[in-house]
Amino acid sequence: MKNVDVNPIIEICAVNKSYEGRPVLADINLAIRPGELICVIGASGCGKSTLLNLIGGFVKADRGEIRLNGRLVEKPCRQCIMVFQEFDQLFTWQTVRHNIEFPLKNAPERLSHQEIRSRADHYLAMVKLTDFGDYYPNQLSGGMKQRTALARALALSPQLLLMDEPFGSLDAQTKKELQETLLEIRQETRATTVFVTHDIREALYLADRIVVLKAGAVAAVIKNQTRNTDETRVAEITALLSP
Amino acid sequence: MKIKAIFLKPYAKYIWIILMLVAWEVTAKLAPVSPLAFPSLELILAALIDSVINGDILMQMAFSLGLILIGLGIGVVLAFLMSFLSVVSPVFASFTDTCVSIFHPLPGIALLPLIILWIGTGSMAILFVIVHSVLWPMILNMTAGFKAIPEVYKKIGMNYEFNTLQSIIRIFVPASLSFLIAGLKISWARGWRAAISAEMIFGASGGIGGIGWYIFNKRVFMDTAGVYAGILMIIAVGIFVEDVVFGKLEKNTIKKWGVA
Amino acid sequence: MKKYIIILWLMVLVLTAGCAKTETAGGQKTIRIAEQYGIAYAPVQIMKAQGLLEKNCPGIVISWEQMNNTAAIREAMVADRLDAGFMAIPPFLIGWDNGMDWKIATGLSSVPTGLVTKTSVNSLAELGEKDRIAVPQPGSVQHILLAMACDRDFGNPQKLDNQLVTLSHPDGMNALLSGGDVTAHFTATPYLEKELATPGFHQILSGNEAFGGEFSFIVGVTTKKLHDQNPEVYAAFNQSVGEAITFINDHPQEAAGILSEAYDLPEAEVLAYLTAADTEYSQTVKGIQTFSDFMLKTGYLKKSLENPGTIIWEQTDYED
Repeated sequence: MKNVDVNPIIEICAVNKSYEGRPVLADINLAIRPGELICVIGASGCGKSTLLNLIGGFVKADRGEIRLNGRLVEKPCRQCIMVFQEFDQLFTWQTVRHNIEFPLKNAPERLSHQEIRSRADHYLAMVKLTDFGDYYPNQLSGGMKQRTALARALALSPQLLLMDEPFGSLDAQTKKELQETLLEIRQETRATTVFVTHDIREALYLADRIVVLKAGAVAAVIKNQTRNTDETRVAEITALLSP
Repeated sequence: MKIKAIFLKPYAKYIWIILMLVAWEVTAKLAPVSPLAFPSLELILAALIDSVINGDILMQMAFSLGLILIGLGIGVVLAFLMSFLSVVSPVFASFTDTCVSIFHPLPGIALLPLIILWIGTGSMAILFVIVHSVLWPMILNMTAGFKAIPEVYKKIGMNYEFNTLQSIIRIFVPASLSFLIAGLKISWARGWRAAISAEMIFGASGGIGGIGWYIFNKRVFMDTAGVYAGILMIIAVGIFVEDVVFGKLEKNTIKKWGVA
Repeated sequence: MKKYIIILWLMVLVLTAGCAKTETAGGQKTIRIAEQYGIAYAPVQIMKAQGLLEKNCPGIVISWEQMNNTAAIREAMVADRLDAGFMAIPPFLIGWDNGMDWKIATGLSSVPTGLVTKTSVNSLAELGEKDRIAVPQPGSVQHILLAMACDRDFGNPQKLDNQLVTLSHPDGMNALLSGGDVTAHFTATPYLEKELATPGFHQILSGNEAFGGEFSFIVGVTTKKLHDQNPEVYAAFNQSVGEAITFINDHPQEAAGILSEAYDLPEAEVLAYLTAADTEYSQTVKGIQTFSDFMLKTGYLKKSLENPGTIIWEQTDYED
């Protein structure tokens, strides 16, 4: 591996997690460097969402530890924001703009009114929703809702962005547009991202590295510098996933 | 316009009301009924105008509404506290459940004889009956609303490092507003009825008494038109609160957000 | 359009059907009487228990209707669901004033009535703004008596009106004795005696003091319809009330026995009430003119009573 000298932003060491005696994750080890976009891929039920929730601090590991910038993750925090698959993650009672401003208004560091507004404008533009700031979520399409959710997460400038199949419920065309937007945002913000998906092509298109999870264990970590979504590459990973 | 189309409009309610008034007037004028039982609209209107000009009906209405408002306020705050504690503690939640199943089916009026013994007969007693009428349906709706909140909202609250109270106030309350408004509507209707019934039983409590007392007084002095005038006032306030107050509230919140 | 006219018609029918009259008393020998409980209504209970009406009018069909307050009796009479009832004079006058077609058929009783307060209050003048006075309802004889006393003492019959609380006799007694905000109760036998027997309470005004003399506490009232269309039943009703009164006056011990069973009270207690010095059962109606003059003067009535004879059926005794 290159860049060994750079401290990892996330260190996952020998993490185990089981639900009601059934092991979900076994002995997971992973280090994520700043600016990386990691895709976690696996069949449903392989533990990829659990892994994301562990990183975010939403659930506790049975054994092992997770460190964010060297500090033990014990509960969810504002440096590590999750974007969900569900469209109803937006607050129905607030406009797109107010959804994005919401975490800023309730920030421990008091931001000025102007600061909040300009940040919201900035991220609205970034997700291409400048003209939709005054819309309520129920007036938006699925893709626009997920764009809003992304902007709301980015507005906090988190050190780590956790994305739990955010484009999983979108049609192919919209999904493609959002993937492009995500890559553009990455160019601009260099935000470290852990992106969970079960779509191999999505992973190949987005990721710097792909973590293949199989039956609760890391089956492979694949470097993906080429971003080549050829059928051969897809078949390669499919082979890794199949039992 | 087709007649059918008229009755599908939002103002259809008022057309029905006019039709009922016409039917009323025809009955009062043509049917062999005693004006003591079935006064004509002119008599009722005259009684109403007389009460507005010479009597205390507006003050009495304000008195009743004021009591309801205070009762609603106390009831909502108490319901919020109990619902909040139920969210925090499962033990308290089972206590709340028990209280609701005991007291919710109990009409406030059934408690009146006890209330007279406990706190006397004044406005406090009427307030007690109102709070009782408001509290339980409000708790039912609040807890149901909190339970119906999507799991992601709870996670988002945690993600923003909110404590439980902050989560409830900033996320749970607006997220369950449709339940809260439904609860408020039920509470208002129950509180309003309870207040009027209690006034009719207790009589004047704070000097002039409320609208229930007005009707009771008209009844005992056999002013039937006055009784109907009081009932008309109650209906008017009911429609006003339902259409204007709650209508506006819903239009500006849950209807606008598309969650109604 | 036709469809809607039919719907409207149906609505009118439903509305009017709700107010339709039950079979009237005219023609057949039937009477519908309000049944009420209490020492003041003792002759009614005796009349029922001894079958006096049945005896005086063979073949009569009597329907005893449970009624618990004067307003309900009045309303039942307006709706033609009742032919005869018993009440105090002021509620009767209010009905007459509002155009009810009825008259007094007989006097019934005078029983002790009065205003009971905590012993810390010694007169009407000492009742403060905070004191609540329980009465059965506005316009009741208790309320009018209180207004009469206020008129005489302060020249203002409405002085205490804003401090009234409407409570039935038993609720009023509970409220007074529990020591809450109700500090005075205008009541009658037997609640009056029970309250006076409780330490800490005394009477500051009796009914007779308030009225300035004697008056009929309860009178019997019948509709014009019964009187005109069914004179035989009316006469039997009047005669039966008279016989019941005579029975109580002549055989109080026996009457107490009958009543103690009906009211579920000890016989000795009932006997004490029946024979108390200021309890009197009589068919003579007393006090109508005084009540009506006072209520006219104070605005509770709009009509002026020229002569008590106009609101009392012929052959009924009265004095004023």
